[in-house]
Amino acid sequence: MADSLICCRGLSKAYGQRPALQGVDLELGRGRIVGLLGPNGSGKTTLIKILCGLLRPTQGTVTVDGQAPGVYTKSIVSYLPDRMYFADWMKATDLFDLFADFYADFDRQKAMDMCRSLGVNPADRIKTMSKGTKEKVQLVLVMARKAQLYLLDEPIAGVDPAARDFIMNTILTNYNETGTVLLSTHLISDIERVLDEVVFLQYGRVILHNSVDNIREQEGKSVDALFREMFRAVPMEGGRF
Amino acid sequence: MLGKLLKYDFRSVSREYMLLWPAALVIALVMRFTIFARLDTVEDNLLANITNVLTVFIYVAVLVAMFIITLLFIIQRFYKGILGSEGYLMNTLPVRPWQLVTSKLICAMVLLLVSMAVAGLSVFLMIPISLQDIIQVDFSMLWDRLMEVFPSFLLLVAELVLCSLVGMVASITQLYFSMALGNLFGKNRLIGSIVSYVGISMVLNVLYTVVSMVLSFSAIGSQYRWDLDPALFFHAITWFAILSSAALAAIFFFGTTYILKNRLNLE
Repeated sequence: MADSLICCRGLSKAYGQRPALQGVDLELGRGRIVGLLGPNGSGKTTLIKILCGLLRPTQGTVTVDGQAPGVYTKSIVSYLPDRMYFADWMKATDLFDLFADFYADFDRQKAMDMCRSLGVNPADRIKTMSKGTKEKVQLVLVMARKAQLYLLDEPIAGVDPAARDFIMNTILTNYNETGTVLLSTHLISDIERVLDEVVFLQYGRVILHNSVDNIREQEGKSVDALFREMFRAVPMEGGRF
Repeated sequence: MLGKLLKYDFRSVSREYMLLWPAALVIALVMRFTIFARLDTVEDNLLANITNVLTVFIYVAVLVAMFIITLLFIIQRFYKGILGSEGYLMNTLPVRPWQLVTSKLICAMVLLLVSMAVAGLSVFLMIPISLQDIIQVDFSMLWDRLMEVFPSFLLLVAELVLCSLVGMVASITQLYFSMALGNLFGKNRLIGSIVSYVGISMVLNVLYTVVSMVLSFSAIGSQYRWDLDPALFFHAITWFAILSSAALAAIFFFGTTYILKNRLNLE
């Protein structure tokens, strides 16, 4: 077991000419809940996609539990993408079968229990479910694994505020104690209470990485307030609102 | 892991084929007892004629649908299943890219081969010739003569079968490779895939033309004589086709896995 769970060194990614990440150095430990925060287009999704092995960095290195992204890291990473990945033909139970087949750490019983408490019928065809229900199924799949790293890309963006709280509680109560949760969002106030650490991204660079307690002590303000301060949109020159 | 991937690839197409394959066979059987049973009795019944035409039409439609659906499935299961939003699930499974592609490829080959078998079997079911009638025809004379002229005939048949199998693999992997290349085109993936496919086909056409021209010129120039041994000629041609298709299939396959591994760019 490597000391730090995630280790990025000089990580850069460009889509053609357009840089998405520029020289990111980042180390994250185990058993933490980390918020990956930043405005739209700051590189949150790109970083997560590199960590889960969907993208290759243009430059720099990245390791998860001491290994470059590959079959091993994929077996210990539980990834919630920012979109639906279901095939038309599937029922939730088909997905449970698939996860049980491919991930040794998937707990089917736990998935069924979570479905019950979220009010999802796992025997329904995915196609017939509402968008919110589909998101819940995907969250169940991700959280029913006893993974070492949970990568959650905008897990609360598409649901109503009441469901948001419920999802945050699901994440809190279901993640395992030795695992780390890295979740990206721009809805900070909703998740601030559960975070141990925050990483601020801007223009593909890490501009802040600190624990939430330190921020409160040193800056005397909440993460949300700090975020608004740092990322305040500068009105265009001459613009009057 | 490959076995598990195959399980889900087959599950994803099972519903459609569990309908299509039996449908083709059942309609063929119906035709045996409607159209072909009455061939000898001349009938001038309008209703019977209409039903006959209708049955033939449905049968042809089912066969055509079977092959079109198979082609679409081969394309769609790869395009949507690996490069589309389902790719977020499949490409984060703890498997290697070559296993993803191999699973899709095996599934595609099985669908194609069984569809061909079903089409062949349906013709056999449709025409009311019993096995006995066929056996009664004495093939032994014909066979002896064939063996005399072309002793390695069976070998050639085996080679031709191998040739078509390898050719099918090459065609399917060409589709995969084109779609993988299309994935590199940013926002114009579909157009990129089509352009890649047409481009590859054109390059291959030119290549084949050049190679066959060079071969025929060198054959004329050399001491090659047509009375040498036609069997040898057929074998050589077939093996040339097998090996060139296999080389292409390998290029397409490894090109696809390279892109999936290093240049994947899901929307």
